[in-house]
Amino acid sequence: MKKLLALVLAAMMLLGMMSFASAEDVELTLWSIAVESDASYQTYIDGIAAFEAANPGVKVNHETTQNEQYKTKIKAAMSAGTDLPDVFFTWGMSFLGDFVNADRVLCLDEYYDAYKDDLAKNMCANATYDGKLYGVPYTMSCVVLFANMDLLKEAGWDHIPETIEDMSKCCEDLKAKGIVPFGVSGKELWCLSEYLEPLMIKSIGTQKLIDVYEGRESWDNEGIKAAVTAFQDYVKNEYFDPNAAALGNDEVKTNFIAGKYAFYQNGSWNCGDISKSENAASFKAGLFPVLNPDNASLYELIGGPNNTLAVTATTEHKEEAVKLAFELAKFMSDADYKSGANLPCWTADPEAKVSDLVAQVVDIAGKAEGMVLFGDNFLSADAANTYLDYIGLAFAGEIDAEGFCTGLAAELSK
Amino acid sequence: MRRPFSYKLNIFLFLLPALILFLGVLIAPIAMSGYYSLTEWNGLGTPEFIGFQNYVELFTSKSINIMRALKNVMLLALLSVCIQLPFALLLALKLSQHVKGERWYLAIYFMPVLISSVVIGQLWIKIYNPEYGVLNTLLRSLGLDSWTRIWLGDKNVAMGACLVPILWQYVGYHMLLMYAGIKGMPPELNEAAMLDGCTPGQVSRYITIPYIRPILRVSVIFAVTGSLKSFDMIYVLTNGGPNHATEVPSTLMINLLFLRNRYGMGSTIAVMLIVLCFVFALLINFAFKEEK
Amino acid sequence: MTRTKINQSDIPVAQQHRFKWTDVLVQIGLILWALICLFPVYWMFTFSLKSNEEIFGQNVMGLPQHWLWSNYERALNVGNMGRYFFNSLLVTVVTILITLGAAIMATYAITRLKWKFHKKMNAFFMLGLTIPIHAAIVPLYTTLSRVGLLNTYWALIIPYSAFSLSMAILICTGFMGDIPYDLDEAAFLDGCGVWGIFCRVILPLMLPAVSTVGIYTFLQCWNELMFATVFISKDVFKTLPVGVQSLSGQYTTEWGPIGAALALATIPTLIVYVFLSKQIQESFIAGAVKG
Repeated sequence: MKKLLALVLAAMMLLGMMSFASAEDVELTLWSIAVESDASYQTYIDGIAAFEAANPGVKVNHETTQNEQYKTKIKAAMSAGTDLPDVFFTWGMSFLGDFVNADRVLCLDEYYDAYKDDLAKNMCANATYDGKLYGVPYTMSCVVLFANMDLLKEAGWDHIPETIEDMSKCCEDLKAKGIVPFGVSGKELWCLSEYLEPLMIKSIGTQKLIDVYEGRESWDNEGIKAAVTAFQDYVKNEYFDPNAAALGNDEVKTNFIAGKYAFYQNGSWNCGDISKSENAASFKAGLFPVLNPDNASLYELIGGPNNTLAVTATTEHKEEAVKLAFELAKFMSDADYKSGANLPCWTADPEAKVSDLVAQVVDIAGKAEGMVLFGDNFLSADAANTYLDYIGLAFAGEIDAEGFCTGLAAELSK
Repeated sequence: MRRPFSYKLNIFLFLLPALILFLGVLIAPIAMSGYYSLTEWNGLGTPEFIGFQNYVELFTSKSINIMRALKNVMLLALLSVCIQLPFALLLALKLSQHVKGERWYLAIYFMPVLISSVVIGQLWIKIYNPEYGVLNTLLRSLGLDSWTRIWLGDKNVAMGACLVPILWQYVGYHMLLMYAGIKGMPPELNEAAMLDGCTPGQVSRYITIPYIRPILRVSVIFAVTGSLKSFDMIYVLTNGGPNHATEVPSTLMINLLFLRNRYGMGSTIAVMLIVLCFVFALLINFAFKEEK
Repeated sequence: MTRTKINQSDIPVAQQHRFKWTDVLVQIGLILWALICLFPVYWMFTFSLKSNEEIFGQNVMGLPQHWLWSNYERALNVGNMGRYFFNSLLVTVVTILITLGAAIMATYAITRLKWKFHKKMNAFFMLGLTIPIHAAIVPLYTTLSRVGLLNTYWALIIPYSAFSLSMAILICTGFMGDIPYDLDEAAFLDGCGVWGIFCRVILPLMLPAVSTVGIYTFLQCWNELMFATVFISKDVFKTLPVGVQSLSGQYTTEWGPIGAALALATIPTLIVYVFLSKQIQESFIAGAVKG
């Protein structure tokens, strides 16, 4: 049946509308999520231009798709195994891992040596499977707590609260002044995880959180329960924007920059947008306080090298595609760092001038005592979505901490 | 008449383009969906045959919760048949009774049908916006602050908020269908009834509505199967959220396929949708025949 | 050809004078619903010309105080709306042509030629009326991808044609039933074969079906979102619904340009509708009556 269909479709193909690339030049196709409104849009453009200038005869077709649609598109393309780009943007760990398991991705071990001085081995951990490297990371990001110091001052605080008790007190003070403490998008579930995951790591510590993600430790444990309880208390006490459920992350970010919230906890990639704003001076980057000082410290972070470029196994121009992945990653690591869009994965230029906000985040990342990648990147696609669903339910108050832990333990153990 | 071979060949040739399209693009893929629904497949490796496990999981899994999705589309179908169609019928009856500005009304009522659902969905997102949307602004200006809601973000009202634009958009479609049926009636029928002293209401009840029965049947089938497979508007408005409160089978399917990499389970929902649409079409046909 | 004419003189005039006040009520009701139908479109046009300050501030529903045409400029420049519109148009027109051709031929074989299983064949095609388009998405995707048709217009045209076919055959059956069989016989006596009859007698008389099949196919394809989202990822092939959807995803916070994009996506359809509303409605009605 498939053959018949293929035949039919092939016959229709003869009708035309197909274009063929000319054979002389090497044409590489690159897929990314850097649509025009994306913070790294310009960096991609510049990086590609630089690569094309340095490699005459190679042309890069850059095709961009918006974040959520990109996930659908790349998975569908990988599933079919045809019509694949040469180089593609991917997230680390499970996202790339699925493609690696399906033998769709080129192993980069033999090419890595040429770049090992600029790209530290430990930065590649999230793109390494069974000891083999399959992707080139270009930025590192971690969750930070952005604070609007002007609003904090209004509520009588001149610093970001350092203990969990102070945090609650601060939120109460803010509320008394009519200021919403936390901005979050309840529509995009990953944004909720940006609040819950720091609480989890600061309740049970780095190693134990990894154990939970990897299934060595049950979700049903006291530390996770404490984190979810704290998270839900913030919801109950109305520390989050009451309209959160209707807002997308872009709207929340805009609101935060416009001075609607005192805090906005999200990825460090927001540094660029925030420091570009008119009132950049009022913002500071910090960390959420520790929930359980017995198990964790302030500098245990959620994040890691994540944005990655990988090369498909089916590419017809291996050398050029690999070169594009490494060179572009290097360029972007540097450029994104300078523009404040992200932290560098590759050895950064120590002389680079960066915004105050980026400098603060670099300082934070430098002091990191442990890092765990974002849960939805760490877990497999099916598990990650179940996990995000549960966070959504917890945020909406449809399940309590007990329900969150036992439910996830039961669903993810399958 | 003689039936030489060339005659049969010609029949085949006439049918060929339609058959190729129909078999190749509709029947064959659906058969393949049927096969995939019996497998566990992440879309990347080879499908692994697991029998009817997907079907069992579909109806027992709490995290998929197909029942909620079915409940949502059944609600849509019910409202569609009980509110949208009667309203469309009312409009059609009134408009066909020689109302001033008939043409204008027809044109305006049909207009939403021609506008892309994405555009309409995006507009309604703005209308429902909790802070700046028209709806909440209107409620606040009327002093009904307590009535304001986060329309698309509150699980108790989100489904209702999704239903309104869907029902609204297609009133014109059904109205025009029914209007056409009414206009197709022989005028003598009405005249005779009028002469017998019937009121316009009685004419509608006893003459017009029975006459356009076949059209009503088509409308009901379209409304019900259309509800079962509804996708566009929900996808644009909420994509199944908040917390899956507005999930319908087709959004669930897309979610399973492309977010969770569960191609087998996604195909299971596809098969379930076909069966449902088919069964309902048969049932409606049966119901309309029975009463005759 | 008997076309359904909407002609006021055909209609028995109800006893108008007796029900004056109910007439007024009916008019009020009709006007109210007309306003409800028009409001979102009115609102779209007004906020497409406003700045965020106006939209979010005092002037939520009124006409814009400052007419901000630059919103349209931005939507056109950034959003590629022209391209999306062209793609949608091309896909829809080619789909209509293919559907029409295949449907008329099949209908001819089913209704005009005498053979054993013609009724069964008709019932078989009518199965397509209830099959949801989404059910075929995975196999279609893998097949289209294998033969390299993803990200071409064909990736949409072929499935759309197949899924519009049943309705088109249904409509064509109605229209073809109106063509007297005497004509076939006369042509047959003149020495025409089946192809001769088809080309000289049937095809010219099926012209009225074109607009009716056209409008129904248009309604099915123009707004389709699921296939268009999954089968097309290249910006140059995106259709209007996908383009508008992704644009709205990128600019959630600036309502003006989004409104402009929505308006741009709608204006051409509305213009055509304003000029051809009578024909469009009549074609639609003809489909309902014939079907």
